[in-house]
Amino acid sequence: MFPKLDPLLHSELRLAVMSILADVESADFTYLKKQTGSTSGNLSVQIDKLTSAGYIAVEKGFKGKIPCTTCRITPAGTEAFNSYVEALKEYLK
Amino acid sequence: MEQIKEMTAQESLKLISETLNNSRRSILRNNSKGFILWGVLLTVMSLVVYFAWHATGNAVWNLLWFAMPAIGYPLSMLLYKKKDSTVPQSFVGKLLGQVWGVFGVFSLVFSALAVFVVPMPITFTIVLLLGLAESISGVILKNWPIIIGGFILGVGGAVAATLLKTDAQILLFTLGGIVLAATGLIVKCQYK
Repeated sequence: MFPKLDPLLHSELRLAVMSILADVESADFTYLKKQTGSTSGNLSVQIDKLTSAGYIAVEKGFKGKIPCTTCRITPAGTEAFNSYVEALKEYLK
Repeated sequence: MEQIKEMTAQESLKLISETLNNSRRSILRNNSKGFILWGVLLTVMSLVVYFAWHATGNAVWNLLWFAMPAIGYPLSMLLYKKKDSTVPQSFVGKLLGQVWGVFGVFSLVFSALAVFVVPMPITFTIVLLLGLAESISGVILKNWPIIIGGFILGVGGAVAATLLKTDAQILLFTLGGIVLAATGLIVKCQYK
């Protein structure tokens, strides 16, 4: 029987955000937007969902005088991401 | 990128792989600037020291080396602050920074001790450390030309340092600078 895929991660944009954050210490909103090619509104919504699930932590601050939102993956997010990748591999066996 | 789209397992893995690779490329391309900056600085500084020493016959010009971190670090900060300030630090990038940071500390402390406390073969040691740091960078980046380049620079440079006259040994750092800048260009092209 196939393992259940985490529905929160089984979405294109959320999965892309998690993939980026899994490889870096933290990334700001502008970088995530550029790398995923998403719109600000859509990205904000998906980041909120990942934050609510405890998969990422968001820090709002300033870079000089410009507001800056920094995201980093949490240990729970890393675990969920790794489990998701393992589950995907099972599907492809 | 759409928010809701049914993906197959294959599509999901492809998305993860592509996103990761694109992000890594962008981050490492950004890191290449550091290699180029320090490579050019090392080349210029070594040529200045060499020609000044050669022209005056005075080894005191070697003290200029201590100005290198004072010039390099502010320039490096300026370079990374100016452009692509949103590019994050990856674990690979951080590791590379740590390797070169350790090299910098070792070189500076060793040189200071060799100049002011106990005479020791500076060029031999620093060029060996430079080659070692370069090869480790190659291992981290999984790039054979960088690994081999570092090995040739370190081992070959150490051998050359024992054979060359003291002022001519400085030119080994010119070679080191060129190898460093070439590493930056290789990384830039590799992660285009």
